[in-house]
Amino acid sequence: MSEAPAIAPKEQAENGERPAVVVMNLHKSFGAVEVLKGVSLAARQGDVVSILGSSGSGKSTMLRCINLLETPDSGTITVGEETLRFAKNRNGRLFAPDRRQVERLRRTTGMVFQSFNLWSHITILENVIEAPIHVLKRPRAECIAEAEALLAKVGIADRRHYYPAHLSGGQQQRAAIARALAMRPKVLLFDEPTSSLDPELVGEVLRVMRSLTDEGRTMLVVTHEMAFARDVSSHVLFLHQGKIDEEGAPDEVFGRPKSDRLRQFLSSAQ
Amino acid sequence: MFNLVGFGPDGWGPALLQAALMTLALSTAGFLSGVALGVLAAFARLSGDRFARGAAFAYGALFRGVPDLLTIYLLYFGGSVALTTIAGWFGARGFVGLPGFATGAVALGVISGAYQAEVYRGAFLAIHRGELEAARAYGMSGLTMLRRIVAPQTLRYAMPGLGNVWQLVLKDSALVSVIGLVELMRQAQIGAGSTREPFIFFCAAAVLYLSIAATTGALFRRVERHSHRGLRTA
Amino acid sequence: MDVGFLVDTLSQLMRGVPLTLQLTATSVSLGFILALALALALETRRPSIVWPIRGYITAFRGTPLLVQIFLIYYGLGQFRPTIQALGLWGFFRAPFWCAILALTLNTAAYGTEIIRGGLQSVPYGQIEAARACGMSRSLAYRRVILPIALRQALPSYGNEIILMIKGTSLTSIITLLDITGIAQQIISQTYRAVEVFACAGAIYLAMNYLVAHLVAVLEHRLSPHLRAPDIETAVAIEGALH
Repeated sequence: MSEAPAIAPKEQAENGERPAVVVMNLHKSFGAVEVLKGVSLAARQGDVVSILGSSGSGKSTMLRCINLLETPDSGTITVGEETLRFAKNRNGRLFAPDRRQVERLRRTTGMVFQSFNLWSHITILENVIEAPIHVLKRPRAECIAEAEALLAKVGIADRRHYYPAHLSGGQQQRAAIARALAMRPKVLLFDEPTSSLDPELVGEVLRVMRSLTDEGRTMLVVTHEMAFARDVSSHVLFLHQGKIDEEGAPDEVFGRPKSDRLRQFLSSAQ
Repeated sequence: MFNLVGFGPDGWGPALLQAALMTLALSTAGFLSGVALGVLAAFARLSGDRFARGAAFAYGALFRGVPDLLTIYLLYFGGSVALTTIAGWFGARGFVGLPGFATGAVALGVISGAYQAEVYRGAFLAIHRGELEAARAYGMSGLTMLRRIVAPQTLRYAMPGLGNVWQLVLKDSALVSVIGLVELMRQAQIGAGSTREPFIFFCAAAVLYLSIAATTGALFRRVERHSHRGLRTA
Repeated sequence: MDVGFLVDTLSQLMRGVPLTLQLTATSVSLGFILALALALALETRRPSIVWPIRGYITAFRGTPLLVQIFLIYYGLGQFRPTIQALGLWGFFRAPFWCAILALTLNTAAYGTEIIRGGLQSVPYGQIEAARACGMSRSLAYRRVILPIALRQALPSYGNEIILMIKGTSLTSIITLLDITGIAQQIISQTYRAVEVFACAGAIYLAMNYLVAHLVAVLEHRLSPHLRAPDIETAVAIEGALH
């Protein structure tokens, strides 16, 4: 098996200080409900940022604003060197006028969804090579080789000709992670990746995610898995009702929670 | 051009409206005949008797699979031949045609009955078995259960499907024009031929068909909503 | 039972089969292309596009096919001078082409609704995943949304094809000699309606059965993702890829 080029080495100091993702002062309302009330985040290359909070705190919305699956009402988003351009449409609402820029940005961020969202009409292998071939326009043979390496890495190489419906939840999510990795993204976005899984299957997915952090990938993870967040994060955000209640190093946030809300949240999650 | 279909001295408006009423009457008669046939066929399909099941299945497959025009020809010409023969025994001469309205209604009944059978069958199968068990456990006789539990529930689940079949009957009624009955289609043809302005007449017919479809459709949805009270839907 | 008559009738009726098939195949194909275009146009959600299309769909689904056929065949004949000036009269005076036009417009109206239903049934998460990979709108439609939507629409569309086969029988009223046209001729000559009905009915039922079977086969081919995993095929593909 040839060396898979998709495994990214830990970024060195040269690029270490330039932020990978900067999000400033995001506001977002759904109708009358204000879900994000001005949240900001900065992640350097190689950072693993865990985003915690109870339901309705806005954590998923925040993540989904980064690759513009939701359009914020105000704020700025910068991924790598590019800052997203926004404009106001006829109703005064914000939208991203430069479609090409949005697509470009999405090519550099890989997203892993809570409900996996594998494309149901094609096999696992075809799922992984779909975007590299049709979006990145890389040659087919190269994509297949890389896909097979990735699927082997996440441990489901033997299932690559199966259809998503024939895999367990844990296997599907691992396939989805391989699909995201195949795009060679600069940033990985995880939206509650284990929340839909049966407890026995959570472990296999967390193992894969851990190995990714070991490789030095930049990851933003919305999760309820406290142990995981504590172990691998470089930075933790705790959201409450659309605002960042507390943030800091994992030992600080988990070991010495300052607010009552966070204390309550941590104890109820045990 | 609009004078032609208006209500002035040259206007065919009244004639068209009258024909539209004929269409409505024909469709209603056909649909109701279909109810009778459909219920019977649904019963047969659900019964334990293999012959009854087979016969009902064949009826449904035949009249849903064969073009409705052929069914109309079958009933009209077949029936007229029979009638002519019988009239011949009584000394009448020449071809005796079946009455247009009755034949049309029977044809529409036979066709829609085939579709309605499927609707009733599906609706019956959708009833929770538990409710029927409860009825039996409370000592309801078969007839009472039918009257109080099965029929109302079947009707409730059947409403959307029946709405579709009604629209089908309404459109099929236009085919009855080929046997000479002066319903809306035929009237439009007569007007078109008489005035050599087919476009406006068939447009008027289209508008009238749409209006009937829209009003009766709204009525069906009203009844549907009423019959769905108490049902939790998705 | 007069077997001789039945055989004779059948052979006469079979001569109408090519025309019936031609009418069906042409109108269904053209109608599908139109329906796909209209369904995609509806996805733009722009009122200036959506309203006319909705109006067309309502008109053609709410009125009898016979009215539509007559409108095009007889109704447009009223505008003969204009059409002749456009050089299209050769098309519009031929019953065959008028029938094709009417049948196509009719099936496209129903087809648009069917495809629209298919598009709505595509799980939203899979569309999001496509967007999240940076797929453009057209790429997402081409690679993910349409393949899934059309697979979902297949059973209903198969039904529509069968309805179209029955619809072609109306063209006999504007002088086309399809199966029903020939049947009507035989009946009016011999008055043996029951036997002719039986023969013609048998031919139509056979065609319906064939279409239903072909659609089922296509459905089966296109939906391995909905069935139990096929280990042999997986192994075979494995071999083919290396």
